[in-house]
Amino acid sequence: MSIDIGAGKTRAVALDLTSCDREPIHVPGAIQPHGVLFALGEPDLRIVGVSANLPALIGPQPDAVLDRPLGAVFDEASIGRLRTLLHQVDGPAASPVAMQRRDGGELGLDAVLHRHDGLVLLEFEPRGPDSEGAHAFFRRTSGAIRRLQAARTLGDACAAAAREVRAITGFDRVKIYRFASDFSGEVVAESRHEDIESFLGLHFPPSDIPAQARALYALNPIRLIPDIDYRPSPIVPDRHPATGRPLDLSFAVLRSVSPIHLEYMRNMGIRGTMSVSILRGDRLWGLIACHNRAPRHIGHDARQACEMVAQVLAWQIGVMEEEAVTRHSLEGKAIQRRLLGDIEQLRDHRAGLIRNSEALLELMGASGLCLYGRDAVTTIGRTPPDAAIERLVDWASRTDGSELFQTDRLSTLLPEAAAYADVASGVLAVPLSRTPPRRIMLWFRPEVAQTVRWGGNPEKSVEIGPDGDRLQPRKSFAAWTEESRGRAVPWQPHEIVAAVELRDLVIDVILRKAEELESVNTQLARSNEELESFAYVASHDLKEPLRHIEAFAGLLGESIRQSGDDRLSAMVGGIESSSRRLRNLINDLAEFSRLGRQAQPLAPADLGDIADEVMADLRQRIDEAAATVTCERLPVVRCDRNQMRQVLQNLLSNALKYRHPARPCRIRISALESGERTYRDGADETFARICVADNGIGFDPKYADQVFEPFQRLHGPDEYEGSGIGLAICRKIVQRHGGKVGVETAPDQGATFWFSLPLPAADETPGPGFGTQ
Amino acid sequence: MTRDSAAPTVLVAEDHNHDKFILQEVFKRAGIKADLRFVDDGEQMLDYLYRRGTFAAAGAAPVPALVLLDLNMPRLDGRKVVRILRADDGLRQLPVIALSTSESPKHITEAYSIGINAYLVKPASIPDYVAKISSLWQFWMSTASLPSLEGRP
Repeated sequence: MSIDIGAGKTRAVALDLTSCDREPIHVPGAIQPHGVLFALGEPDLRIVGVSANLPALIGPQPDAVLDRPLGAVFDEASIGRLRTLLHQVDGPAASPVAMQRRDGGELGLDAVLHRHDGLVLLEFEPRGPDSEGAHAFFRRTSGAIRRLQAARTLGDACAAAAREVRAITGFDRVKIYRFASDFSGEVVAESRHEDIESFLGLHFPPSDIPAQARALYALNPIRLIPDIDYRPSPIVPDRHPATGRPLDLSFAVLRSVSPIHLEYMRNMGIRGTMSVSILRGDRLWGLIACHNRAPRHIGHDARQACEMVAQVLAWQIGVMEEEAVTRHSLEGKAIQRRLLGDIEQLRDHRAGLIRNSEALLELMGASGLCLYGRDAVTTIGRTPPDAAIERLVDWASRTDGSELFQTDRLSTLLPEAAAYADVASGVLAVPLSRTPPRRIMLWFRPEVAQTVRWGGNPEKSVEIGPDGDRLQPRKSFAAWTEESRGRAVPWQPHEIVAAVELRDLVIDVILRKAEELESVNTQLARSNEELESFAYVASHDLKEPLRHIEAFAGLLGESIRQSGDDRLSAMVGGIESSSRRLRNLINDLAEFSRLGRQAQPLAPADLGDIADEVMADLRQRIDEAAATVTCERLPVVRCDRNQMRQVLQNLLSNALKYRHPARPCRIRISALESGERTYRDGADETFARICVADNGIGFDPKYADQVFEPFQRLHGPDEYEGSGIGLAICRKIVQRHGGKVGVETAPDQGATFWFSLPLPAADETPGPGFGTQ
Repeated sequence: MTRDSAAPTVLVAEDHNHDKFILQEVFKRAGIKADLRFVDDGEQMLDYLYRRGTFAAAGAAPVPALVLLDLNMPRLDGRKVVRILRADDGLRQLPVIALSTSESPKHITEAYSIGINAYLVKPASIPDYVAKISSLWQFWMSTASLPSLEGRP
C-alpha cells in the first residue's frame, strides 16, 4: 500500500519487494524539495550539511554557508530563540521557531528542529494555510478528541478518527490501516471523497510496508509527501562530521522516500500523501494513511493535531481492547452457565454443546468444533472429514499429547491439512484427558482468505506507471490473498482462556457423570446381591414344603400301588414326577443365585486338567452314550477353577444329552485364540476361545441367544430332562470372567458351544499357554 | 403312639407335624419296632430328659436309646440343646443323630463340631428315607455297643 524504501538511487533493487527489508531508508541522502534542511554541530551551531535547494527557498549557495556558523544565514535574534528552544528540548521536534534571515527578510516558512545522532537538524517548510494559532488548534483538537471518545466500538472509533483527520487535513481519502500479527494489514475504516475509490476491507501483504519502514513509523509518527512528483534535493555533504556516515533522517519531516512508494501512489492516482502512526506503547498498531489526488502540504500545526487524534485513537483502542477481553470473558461465563444448565437438563454434555453450538463458535471465533473421544466423535459447525480428524488427533497426540496445542497455519505443520484449509487452517486442540482413552476438544478456523470480503470495486482501472501493474493496491490484495493461503486468524490469549474454561467445564461434567455411573453401579450391584440372596432364601424355603409333598406322594404311591389301582397310581406318579421336577428347578435356581456368592478369585489354571476331571466325573454317562470324547490341548486361563469345571460339565452333559439317535456320539473339546482384546489394569488382555463341538441333534440357530437365558428350553421335559438353567449358569460364569459365550448350530447338524476366557498375563503364567512349548 | 416295653425308646425333636408323620411312616415301613416319643422343640426336649413339667409323672419319659434331633427348631434351637446335653455328665453319652434338610458342608461340619454322633439329610423320596433309617437303626441298635443310660435321674 505505501511502500517506502529509500531514495532514487536503488530502483533496480527496490523492485524486488522481498529485498526491501534490507534497504536503508533512514539515510536517503536527500530531502523533499518543498523545504530546506540544515545539519548543525553543537554547541556552536556550525552548519555541517545543508540541502542543495537552499538558494531556491532561503538564499546563499550551500558552499557559501557550509562549515560556517548559523549566523551566516540567520539573524542573531532568531538564533537566540533557537538556542533557547534547544535548551528546552532533548530529542524530537518541538513547536516551530520563528526564523529570520540575517538580512531581515521574511521567510514565510516554519522552522522545526530536533536533535538526533549528535546533530541538530533544522528543517524549514512552508507554513500551512491552516496555521491559525494555539487557541484555534486547541479548539479544533479538543472537539475531535471529544467526538472520538464518544465512540462505543473499535470500528466507530476508527471511523471517527478517519473523519476527524480528513476534516483537519482536507485529504480526499483517510484510511485507518491495522496491522495483523504477521504485519499484513487491513483497511478497517475509511473517510473519503465520494469520487475516490474505496479501499475499505482490503488486506495487504506484510511486504507492502517492509520491516524498516514499520520501524521508522514506530520512531517517527508522521510521514508527509506533499507532492509525489518532487525531485529530491540532495544534502551536501551527506556525511556526518564525526562518523563520516550518511546523515540519519529518521526523524526528519522532509526525508525523501522510495521511488517505488511514489510509483505505487502514482498508480493509484495519488499526488499528496501523509501517514500518522497509531502506537500502542512501542507497538505499531496501525496507520492513519491519507491520500490526495492533488498535491497537498499539511502544516506543522495540522500535523500535530492529526498526531493527537492518532494518540487518542490509540488510547481508545487500548480501552476497547481491554473492554472486549472483559466482555468476552463475561460472555464466556454466561455461555458456560447456559451450557451447564442445558447439560443438566439434557443429561448429556454432547447434546448440551450442540444446543449451544452457535454461541460457542461465536465465543471462540471458530467455525467448527469437534469433541473427539474413542467412543464417539461429535462435530459442530464446519469441520474436516472424520478420517482427517482421526489423523489430525493422532498427529497432534504424537506431537504433544497432553498439552494444549494451537496453530494458525496447520498445513505448514501437517501438509495433508492443505486439503481442508478452507475449514481448518487454524486449530486449537484442548485435551480433556492426559492419559488414554484420549478425549480432545478441537476448535477450527478457516483460512483468512475465505473470511475476507473484497472491498471496493476491483474492476476500477488506474493508469499504470513504468514499473508495471504490480504496484497497485488490487495487486497487493491479490498477493496478500495468495500469501494468506492456509492461514487462519491467530488464536488470541483470551480465546485460549475461554477454551480452557470450557474444557474444565466439560471435564467436570464427565467426571460427575462417571461418579453418578459409579453410584448407579454400586446400587445395581447391591440390588443384584439382594435379588440373589432373595432367590437363594426363597429356593431354600420352597424346598421344605416340596419335600413334604414328595414324601407324602411317595407314601401314598406305595400304598396305592399295593392296592393295584392303576388310575390312582398314575395320578400319584404325576404328583411324584412333578414334584421331582420342581425340586430340580429349585435346586438349579438356588445354584444359579449362589454363583456370585461362592465365586473365588480368578487365577491361572490349566483348562486341560479341569477337562480331564470333568470327563472322569462323567465317565459313566459317556460310556452309557457310547460317546467318543476327544480333548485337544487346552490353554492355561485366568479362571475360577470350580466354576470352570461347572461350565465344562454343563456343556459336556448337554452334548451327551442331545446326541443324535442315528449316529455315534462324537464330542470334541478344542481351543483357539479368539482375537478378542480388552483393556484391564493398564494392559491389553487377550482371550482364548474354548469350543465344545458335538455331532448331535443341533437346533435352529435363531434360538442361539435364547438358549443361554435361564429356564429357556427348546424341548419338552418328557423328551429331555433338565430345568434349562445349565447354559444360563455357563453364561453367567463366563461373563464373570469377562468372556463371552455363543453357539454355532443347525438342526440335525450338531452344535458347537464356545466360550472365551482371558489368558493370563505373561508374568502370571504358571504353565504353557498358546504357542509355547 | 405304641407303648411296647420291649421296643427301645427314640426321642424325636421335630417341630413339623408333616415330618413327624413321615418319620413314623418310615419307621413303620422299615419294620422297626421303636417307641417313638416326639417333642416340638429344644425346651420340651430338655423337660423330657430332665423329667420336668408334663414329663414329671412316672413313666412319662422313658430313657431314650437314641435322640433324633432337627437342628432348626423354634425357641431353643437344636444346636443349643446339644451343647447343654454335652455339658451334662449324665446325658453326655446319649447318642444324638441330627436330622436336617441342609446338604451344605458348612452346616454338616458345624453340627459335628458341637458334638452330634451322626448327621442325616432328610431324603425327599420315601424309599431313600426308609433305606437310610433302616441302616441307621441297624448301626446304632445292633452294630454299635452303647453305654447304659439306666439309673440316671
